Amino acid sequence: MVEAVKLSRHNLFNTHIIPVNFKYFAPKTLNEALELLDKYGKEAKILAGGTDLLVKMKMRLVEPKYIINIKGIRELNFIKDEGNQVRIGALTRWRQLEKSELIKNFFPSLYDAVKVMGGTQIRNMATVGGNLCNASPAADSAPPLMVLNAKLVLASKKGEREIPITQFFKGPGKTVMEPDELLKEITIPKPEEGSGSAFIKVARTSMDLAKISAATALKVEDRKIVMVRIAIGSAAPTPVRTPKTEEALIGQPFRPSIIREKVKLVVNEISPIDDVRSTAFYRKEVSKIIVEDALLISYERASRR
Amino acid sequence: MRSYKYVGKPIPRQDVSKVFGDAIYAYDVKLPGMLYAKLVGSRYAHARIKGIDLSGALRVPGVVRVFAGDDFPFKVGLYAADRDVLARGKTLYYGQPVAGIVAETLQAAEEAAELIEVDYEPLKPVLTIEEALSPDAPIIHEEMSKYRHASFVYPKPGTNIANYLKLRKGDVSEGFRKADVVVEGVYREPLISHAYLENWVGTARVFHDGTVEIWSSHQSPFAVRHLLAASLGLPEGKVIVHHTFTGGGFGGKAGLLLEHIPVLFSMRLGGRPVRLELNREENFFFMAQRAGYLFRMRTGATKEGKLVAHYGEYYLDAGAYADYTVNIGRSVGFVPTGPYEIPNIHVDSVTVYTNKVPTTAFRGFGMQEMHFAFEQQMDKLAQELGIDALELRLRNAIVPGKSYLPTQVRVREDAGDPAGTMKRAAELIRLGKEIKKPKEPWKFRGVGMASFWKGPVQPSNAASSAIVKVNEDGSIDVLVGTGEMGQGTINALAQIVAEELGIPVEKVRVSPARSTDSVAYTWQTVGSRGLFSEGQALLRAIDDLKNQAKEIASLVFRVFRDEVEVSEGKACVKGKPWECITLAEMALGYTLPNGRAIHGPLIGRGSHVPSQTTYLDPETGKGEPKPFMTFGTGAVEVEVDLLTMRVKVLKAVTVLDTPVINPGLALGQVYGGAVMGISITLNEELKVDPEGRLLNPNFTDYKVARAEDIPDEMVAEFLGVGQKNAPYGAKGIGELTMIPWPAAIANAIHNAIGVRINELPITPDKLLQAVMRQRPELLEALEKELLEAS
Ligand SMILES: Cc1cc2nc3c(=O)[nH]c(=O)nc-3n(C[C@H](O)[C@H](O)[C@H](O)COP(=O)(O)OP(=O)(O)OC[C@H]3O[C@@H](n4cnc5c(N)ncnc54)[C@H](O)[C@@H]3O)c2cc1C
Repeated sequence: MVEAVKLSRHNLFNTHIIPVNFKYFAPKTLNEALELLDKYGKEAKILAGGTDLLVKMKMRLVEPKYIINIKGIRELNFIKDEGNQVRIGALTRWRQLEKSELIKNFFPSLYDAVKVMGGTQIRNMATVGGNLCNASPAADSAPPLMVLNAKLVLASKKGEREIPITQFFKGPGKTVMEPDELLKEITIPKPEEGSGSAFIKVARTSMDLAKISAATALKVEDRKIVMVRIAIGSAAPTPVRTPKTEEALIGQPFRPSIIREKVKLVVNEISPIDDVRSTAFYRKEVSKIIVEDALLISYERASRR
Repeated sequence: MRSYKYVGKPIPRQDVSKVFGDAIYAYDVKLPGMLYAKLVGSRYAHARIKGIDLSGALRVPGVVRVFAGDDFPFKVGLYAADRDVLARGKTLYYGQPVAGIVAETLQAAEEAAELIEVDYEPLKPVLTIEEALSPDAPIIHEEMSKYRHASFVYPKPGTNIANYLKLRKGDVSEGFRKADVVVEGVYREPLISHAYLENWVGTARVFHDGTVEIWSSHQSPFAVRHLLAASLGLPEGKVIVHHTFTGGGFGGKAGLLLEHIPVLFSMRLGGRPVRLELNREENFFFMAQRAGYLFRMRTGATKEGKLVAHYGEYYLDAGAYADYTVNIGRSVGFVPTGPYEIPNIHVDSVTVYTNKVPTTAFRGFGMQEMHFAFEQQMDKLAQELGIDALELRLRNAIVPGKSYLPTQVRVREDAGDPAGTMKRAAELIRLGKEIKKPKEPWKFRGVGMASFWKGPVQPSNAASSAIVKVNEDGSIDVLVGTGEMGQGTINALAQIVAEELGIPVEKVRVSPARSTDSVAYTWQTVGSRGLFSEGQALLRAIDDLKNQAKEIASLVFRVFRDEVEVSEGKACVKGKPWECITLAEMALGYTLPNGRAIHGPLIGRGSHVPSQTTYLDPETGKGEPKPFMTFGTGAVEVEVDLLTMRVKVLKAVTVLDTPVINPGLALGQVYGGAVMGISITLNEELKVDPEGRLLNPNFTDYKVARAEDIPDEMVAEFLGVGQKNAPYGAKGIGELTMIPWPAAIANAIHNAIGVRINELPITPDKLLQAVMRQRPELLEALEKELLEAS
């Protein structure tokens, strides 16, 4: 997921089949990985599925001196039900999410994203942790995890910290992670009783990165919106929540006409650009539409549960 | 069509080695001692090269030589020799090769490529047709007057015009005076890529006696040989081009590609084998892509719905090299309208240089683009006249034997059935019938059609030949020069041999691999001409073979030759089925009971050259340009989502007039053509930034339809109306299958929501703008409906 504008400054025609020389490590445990990061973090790149990293290396957009392949760390590959929350290891493949009843039942917005992420081959290789750490504004797992109130556990030799996903992204390709840190796991609280969530992506073809995407979570009581969260992808330097729109919706009766009116506010909370995938104009127009759709689907799902 | 045993049957392909992974491609050819070449691209779309420093690259261990522009002070090309081997003096597009590295390993070559320093003085890039034609435009090819070019190409030195073609029929001012309705339109298509799977690769070596051998990914081995020889001043007999399976071409591998580069490098390195393999990104820059188009049209009709005049200014944005595109400019100039008779036509077709990637042939050779424009003109006329879209087309359709081509010759009696395809396609898509309304109020459905015609654009004397050999076991080897790139011509040719000789198709081998020194000549594998041209040569070769078999049988059985017939793999005396000799028995000649042998091996030869096509008049275009035209009509049903502005093709209908040799393979062409055409309509575009840098040289951002984007329903019919001199009547269809889609989809969108789209690709972003401009009331009404519904 390399932004075209940035690319145009690079040597696009002589991409490389053979990357620059690097030293390669394949730790088998988390501790080994953290040791290596402690030592080489600044000049190292973590390799998970490699579906983002290798593309960038081929373009020479990154030229790491050290590669730390964490794929062999079994302890980072899991989906665990802990009653009130679900923990997902950073190395969990998209394909595993796709096959998980837990994800399908509790986090339908994440499941929506899984269904439209890449093709089967990519889903077999790509990890959910890699998707977040790559920090593309178009990362498909980000909007759903944002509306699901997910938290990320970051680990380093010094210890662990947990942050809400909304504080994780800093800009295209940038996160709050320190060079010696890695993403260990994602925790998602089970959704409130009576709530529902959904994710919608608009792309150029099937199996494509988003032109624009949106996730919503919603709870309605006595016909009134008591909880709503909205996140939008590919419409700002990072995936974003839209707090003002959420605020305007809270307490409102859940009526399509009201939703339709209020979601127009999201346009003020995003800052899309023209790029090789779409135009700012289109992204603004369609952001409201997919947020509205996602809210309607969230509502339907809530009432079905 | 008469019923045959093999011809007209959906016999599975014989060349199944791809399925098993056995197939050999040019990429698989590796020679002992082979060196690797790498090209370095320009960082500017238009710049003077003030200096180039190769020293850093030369220091990389394993680097053998580094070349720059001045090492090869000559141009190469087909119709207009406008290409530098490596840029000399100036770079003309972003990514143009400015240096070449040859090294012992690919890795060393890649590393060295980073170390070449070029001192550029940037010049203003010329990026659009309008800019290129403006009086104060920078001149891209400053030395155009010195370029070699074909006699039928008319460049204008001192401008950015690579070719200027005029077509004049009747008196167009007079025509417009008779018109009651005139519609105008401006239509555009961007540069696009062939997006074939196999990146280009070529491995060459030069022997001490001067013989050059090359294995490369190409469509037409003999064209590569001729152009290599002509460009490098070599005798054809010393150039051997090896053809393997080609992983898709779509026109992008017609003519000479980069073969001259490994050959030249090898020559300078004492003949050591040199391989140049492109990766995907390089393939977008170093291989030619498809031109962009701009059409301005004015078309007039009487109120009875008779077309009376057509005026057109057609422009092709050829990019930095117009070598092949000048001929496409001719193609759209000579067939400047859909398949209708129009008495008065005035068209100028201008091929223009810009500072973008070079361009070349592309499936359809300009006809998809021209029909995108013209078939929308037809729908606009129908609307203005209040005549049904099908009816207007039928009133003007070419009538074989009666109508005159835009190039003023009469359409042959057996040319085909344009009207038949129109009627059937309209029926299959239910044109004019009520359309099921989707339940979502924001979804709108519409249907649209586009008729079309196309024949090969080739020199009037484009030749083919074939050789048929009988092996000792009675099996047959066919030697033809056609390239095999997935289209399956070799299977159809095998079916023809099986049919003619009455032997099982499994006993006929048409090898996909061939070398120019060991098969029969054919001009090129392009223009949907393979089956038509090689097929005729092959039929003659089979006749020749049969005559030899008859001669042997007549000697053995002491009868006249015409008393012998060949069928079921045997030569028998007519009416005496016991007096027979099998092909196996006479494969190497026939040995009489006393041991004396006669005749020697059976080998049939046949040649074909079109006898009807002529040169075209330079002032008017008058003449016969094509040996055949295939006629067809495509129609679609689309669904437009007015909220996300996405267009989905629900159903795609293709009707072609010709019979086919293998309906299974023909359907494969139809499906592939439709998917490609729909993808081009909705997604495909090579994008450049204001500096002329290509932004999407990869499949991440050059979007090609995926499996899920294919229409739910695709229907195809072949009407079986053949042309007499074609093999079993069958005309070409390969390119035809992708021509109608942009026009049909644009017409269907108009039918659905009343919005006209004049420019490809029809992206949601573009459609949104168009709806807001042309029919804002639609969106307001929808908004109201949605609010009221809730
Ligand atoms: C053909 C194709 C289609 C694609 N389609 C989609 C799509 O539809 N939607 C979408 O969102 N993405 C898509 N992608 C992008 C990519 O597949 C995803 O972002 C994927 O989830 C990345 O995961 P990975 O394991 O391959 O990451 P990697 O490439 O291994 O890593 C990505 C980045 O994250 C870092 N990293 C990885 N794991 C960790 C960790 N645990 N801790 C710290 N840093 C880490 C790496 O150092 C690297 O910088 C596609 C990619 C391809 C090639």
